[in-house]
Amino acid sequence: MARLRTAGARRRSMGEIAYVGIIGFLAALALLILVGPILVVLATSFTDSRSIRFPPTGFSLRWYELLLDEVRSRQIHRAVGNTLTVAAWAAGLATVLGTAAAVAMARAAGRAGRLADAFFMAPLVLPGLAFGLAALMYFSLLGFRPSLEMLVAGHLIVVAPFVLRTVGASLSQLDPSLLDASRSLGAGPVMTFRRVVLPLIAPGIAAGAFLAFMASVDNVPVSLFLSSARTDMLPIRMWGMMESTLDVRVAAVSGLLILTVFVLMLVMERFTGLTRRMRG
Amino acid sequence: MPTAPATDPAASPSPSLQGHTLDVLGLTVRYGGFTALDAVDLAVQPGEILALLGPSGCGKTTLLRTVAGFTRQAEGQVLIDGASIDDLPPNRRQVGIVFQNYALFPHMSVADNVAYGLQARRWAKPRIAARVAELLEMVQLGPLRDRAPRQLSGGQQQRVALARALAIEPSILLLDEPFAALDRSLRLDMQIEIKRLQRQLGLTAILVTHDQDEAMSVADRIAVMRGGRIEQLGTPVEVYDQPRTRFVSGFIGSTNLLPCLMLGAEAGMARIRLPDGAHLAAPLGSAAPLPPGPAVLAVRPEQLMLHDEAADDRFPVALGLALPIGGQTIREATTEGGAPLRLVEPRLGGIADRGPRAWCGLVPGARPAVFPHPDTEEE
Repeated sequence: MARLRTAGARRRSMGEIAYVGIIGFLAALALLILVGPILVVLATSFTDSRSIRFPPTGFSLRWYELLLDEVRSRQIHRAVGNTLTVAAWAAGLATVLGTAAAVAMARAAGRAGRLADAFFMAPLVLPGLAFGLAALMYFSLLGFRPSLEMLVAGHLIVVAPFVLRTVGASLSQLDPSLLDASRSLGAGPVMTFRRVVLPLIAPGIAAGAFLAFMASVDNVPVSLFLSSARTDMLPIRMWGMMESTLDVRVAAVSGLLILTVFVLMLVMERFTGLTRRMRG
Repeated sequence: MPTAPATDPAASPSPSLQGHTLDVLGLTVRYGGFTALDAVDLAVQPGEILALLGPSGCGKTTLLRTVAGFTRQAEGQVLIDGASIDDLPPNRRQVGIVFQNYALFPHMSVADNVAYGLQARRWAKPRIAARVAELLEMVQLGPLRDRAPRQLSGGQQQRVALARALAIEPSILLLDEPFAALDRSLRLDMQIEIKRLQRQLGLTAILVTHDQDEAMSVADRIAVMRGGRIEQLGTPVEVYDQPRTRFVSGFIGSTNLLPCLMLGAEAGMARIRLPDGAHLAAPLGSAAPLPPGPAVLAVRPEQLMLHDEAADDRFPVALGLALPIGGQTIREATTEGGAPLRLVEPRLGGIADRGPRAWCGLVPGARPAVFPHPDTEEE
């Protein structure tokens, strides 16, 4: 009996070892593919050499110094400024409009709600390039010239779904009896929204705003069509620098971006449990 | 298990406090093609707790939600103190609700939860603070005023929910299955607590429940509901002792249903014959006696007793399990026709050893109910 049990235990532990081995291998592979490039870019950004090459030769901060130099990196700084301005506006508007839309759609049960949901979520699945081209043609047709406002409008459409999703998820977790309780206690719709709904979906709104902001900063396809020399955007500028000169400053920009996003992610995770929300 | 209906001599509401009346007239609510409430009439007296009792889907929750204003009726009226509240939104009805899951605002402290309704009424801050302190004192939660709801036990959360509902001085208090989420030992404490406060404040209250014990112990009157209608309305004792329909008799307490033949009625007694030949005589209730023919005898476990010898008015049963419950013994038995029976006998020093067979008869003076046979009953 005892022998049988140990044999069974051994077989199970063999299975466990195989399981851990395979999962571990896959995890290591995933890490290699996901984290590897980040490490390569980071390492490259500290190179002493004059062009992007891996492994880096020597260690220096010269490319960061050049990048932060206001005069010599003026175009990059302007692109960063444009990108942050557009992202702030697009994410801000997306947060207000997306929250309002999510609240309205949560109330409109049934066909209309589902249709509206599918409509607003479409930009997530629609190829960005197709939308960028369409937006350019449409805005031109209306007589607009490329401008930051046009970029904000274009980005707004593609980043709003993030807010819609996270706020929608928060709303669906909201206990409807809380709303009944608020009403029965004498609160009208406005007080109910301000005192009960809004505080309870605030983490979802914050998560959505963060995702929308990052999606705008990161956006290439829409910016590609809607930006001009005057309204240069950071990802487009980086691409241009890579194409023409293999400028190491691109690696330095990437390094700063990675660091910023990493810190922001930590902050968001701390306050809103972002990863939990993205899963939901 | 049947609970003997509570009779409390001090149960009449204090005359100094005048509660509000609630009248429901011909209330009909439909969801699509489904009629959830079917022309219900109900008059709740000032200072009374009325229980709406029934299985799920009987319309009790719909009735509560319509009174609260969350559900709009197709027809009929809801009146508080004789005035219609049909056109008022829920926030202007002055109706307090204790929800089944308490529905406490999770992001607010205990004190803020209680203050919410007063803030909605734009009371001045010092006045709110004083009232909140008074209410928390009343439900014995003063020291926990700054806690978050999730830090409280189930019973404490319910006290907060109660204090919050009472803060607005509601004309009617609605209790939606308030004890369902509490464990058994706490349930009785909270029932007593709620009843005590309701008495003390002279509140008119409606209790929605599917638990007959709860309805019996808390309510002054019980409305047994089924299929969107009120099947019987009466005091707990009336509903238990004189169930008007087979459904009521089965839903309140436990009942043995035995097919029988109604022979006739004479001298205030109904004569009944059971399939195994026993002739029983049961006192007639207030309802008109049934015509002779197939019928169903509804007899409560405590209305039956066992004998060792056969007689004209006894029928043979095969005895099964005997379980001691408190001071009583619950016995399972089977008639010769195969109908399962349950009966209760007082236990005097151990369980009486009766062997496998006995004769069963009515306890002298018992008033079992006789209902039409399901095949002949008009639905």
